[in-house]
Amino acid sequence: MTDKLENRIVFWTFLSPIIFAFLMVVIIPFLIGAFYSFTNWSSAARANEVLEFVGFKNFTDSFADPSFNYSFILTIIYTVINMLAINITAFLLAIFVTSKLKFRNIYRVGFFIPNLIGGLILGYIWQFIFNNAIPSLGEIVPALSFLADPRKLILANRNSAVLALVAVGTWQYAGYIMMIYVAALESVPAELHEAARIDGANVGERIRHITIPMIAQAFTITMFLTLVQSFKQFDVNVSLTAGGPSAMFMGIPLFGTELLALNIYNTAFVKLNMAMAQAQAVIFFLVLIVISMIQVSVNKRKEVEM
Amino acid sequence: MKRILTVLLILAVATTAFASGSQESDMSKDGGSVTLIQNKPEIDPQLQAYGALWAEKTGNEAIMKSVGGSSSITLGQQLRADYAAGEMPDIFIIAGIEDYKEWESLILDMSGEAWAKETSVAFKVDGKTVGCPVAVEGWGMAYNKDMLDKAGIDPASLTNYAAYKAAFEKLDGMKAELGVDSVVSMAAGPEMGWVTAHHNFNSLLSNGMAYGDQSAAQTLLDGKVDAKRLGEYADWVELLFMYADTAVLTTGNYDSQVGAFANSKAVFLHQGNWTDPNMAQANATFKMGFAPHGSMAADTDGIFVSAPSYYVINKESKNVETAKQFLNDLVFTAEGQNFMVNEAGMIPAFANVSLNPKGQLSKSVQEWSAKGKVYSWNQYLFSGDFRDQTLAPIYNQFANGAVDKAQFVELMTAAFQNR
Repeated sequence: MTDKLENRIVFWTFLSPIIFAFLMVVIIPFLIGAFYSFTNWSSAARANEVLEFVGFKNFTDSFADPSFNYSFILTIIYTVINMLAINITAFLLAIFVTSKLKFRNIYRVGFFIPNLIGGLILGYIWQFIFNNAIPSLGEIVPALSFLADPRKLILANRNSAVLALVAVGTWQYAGYIMMIYVAALESVPAELHEAARIDGANVGERIRHITIPMIAQAFTITMFLTLVQSFKQFDVNVSLTAGGPSAMFMGIPLFGTELLALNIYNTAFVKLNMAMAQAQAVIFFLVLIVISMIQVSVNKRKEVEM
Repeated sequence: MKRILTVLLILAVATTAFASGSQESDMSKDGGSVTLIQNKPEIDPQLQAYGALWAEKTGNEAIMKSVGGSSSITLGQQLRADYAAGEMPDIFIIAGIEDYKEWESLILDMSGEAWAKETSVAFKVDGKTVGCPVAVEGWGMAYNKDMLDKAGIDPASLTNYAAYKAAFEKLDGMKAELGVDSVVSMAAGPEMGWVTAHHNFNSLLSNGMAYGDQSAAQTLLDGKVDAKRLGEYADWVELLFMYADTAVLTTGNYDSQVGAFANSKAVFLHQGNWTDPNMAQANATFKMGFAPHGSMAADTDGIFVSAPSYYVINKESKNVETAKQFLNDLVFTAEGQNFMVNEAGMIPAFANVSLNPKGQLSKSVQEWSAKGKVYSWNQYLFSGDFRDQTLAPIYNQFANGAVDKAQFVELMTAAFQNR
């Protein structure tokens, strides 16, 4: 046996368990799921039901469903706001914790910790804050008395409930994104800043002309992570708002903060329409792939090589 | 060299498949085994204890599972996942005809079982008994008797809309005196669609009609709307929402809704007798009972009572006989009866059981049904999807003040017509 052959055998032998696992838990379920999206599958034991091929019916029905369309639009709006909120917060926090501060490692840990709390628990904690703690604050502080008005509860209003989702999402995820920015900021050579300072550049100019171009690679990653995270938001959505309060869309009342993932879940388990939910998941997957590929290629163009 | 690679790959695959396959082989032990899944997490510890006791006495294996509660997945979702995975339990729960249709081809005919002769509320389809009632439950307007006495209101007089309106107005003026935040504890938030679109909705379908009469529901199912009945019902919903605590109404969950009543912060509670354990937990010692709903101008002297859910047996299971024995033991042994009534606090649905539940609200339900003043549960004639996804947001809009009564009626009408 040649060395080359031996290498290849070792290579494939070590790779085979992971290929097998990948096939079994990702590729095959994905293909089965895509198959079901073209059928009338229900995962129930209804009388006289057989699996039938229905073509693109589940896809056309999905686009005719007001709640799916509404969730689609809402998710895009939510994603834009959430990406901005998380990235701006994380970037500012990163600059803050890389400056010459006392206890900066403690701050880093502190900002990162919310990311370690599960989304469901986090949602319930914040639900308590929005429904109980903030109104109580309004009762105590006269200047904030509007907070105690039960008609203006944050989670009782569609627009403020969406912003509440953004606030909680940011609180949870900004620390994680901050760590990526921290790593990138620390790799920016100090002599660039030094030279600029000698040339008379102030802090704002240095951030704009040195820091941001130098960490463009980090932006590609953070933008991608936050995009996918926002699009797939589910756990905080379930526990914080449960899709409520209701809102009117195309003359029909529906759940006002039901993001796409929750909408698909409800199609499957409340509407009990498994195949249609599967079709929606396929649409979701395709849209997410296209959007994230556009985002990555746009960001890539802005990166600079040292 | 390619052959070596293939052999290695096959080996790797085979070992993994073998390892994962061997887990399933030792599932059944000596003697029978029964797996039960039910939807009342609040009685899970008692159920586990009873399952263990039963297993010890009979030598069978008993696996008891509970799912549900306001946040976790529902029983229907769990069953679908189990069914898709080929792990359908031996005994599971259905709530009505819509659930029955979902699992029709799996459900065993139990007409010949001994317990079937002891109950009048079994789930029957085409004359066949297929569901064993879990318990009897009921809801009306739970009231705090002590506060009504203080206000000089006789709960027996609360039988129509006008009486409720007068009572609510009077109590609203006495809020400070009674120490309450609101007259009625009502919830219509996103998690509480089952209070509005299931329980309250049933007033529209069954109130004032003979037990088992489905005509009002059938008319709506046909897309025809009785404007007068719906109008009176909308008055009732408006009255409940108007005198409810806004925070509890729009964003409250089960705990805040029931808690307000249990802690004497509301005079009425729109819930059923399943809140008894919550009352005991909160040490609520005041006298309480159920009054009928006032959803009509005419008198409706009765509350909504039925078996909420039924045990059914999976006929494809290899443990059918053990499962049958489990259900009969539940009804006919002292341990089973003790579990049902004393431990789980349920109102027994079987004539041979002589124990009575301790909770005041459960007792009230028993009194109403002993008098025969009961109306049926017809909300299950509508699909869960229609109630949760179509009706619940309409109630929520009304509760949030986004639509007024006239628009509420319009939206409800449109919902029935476009169903």
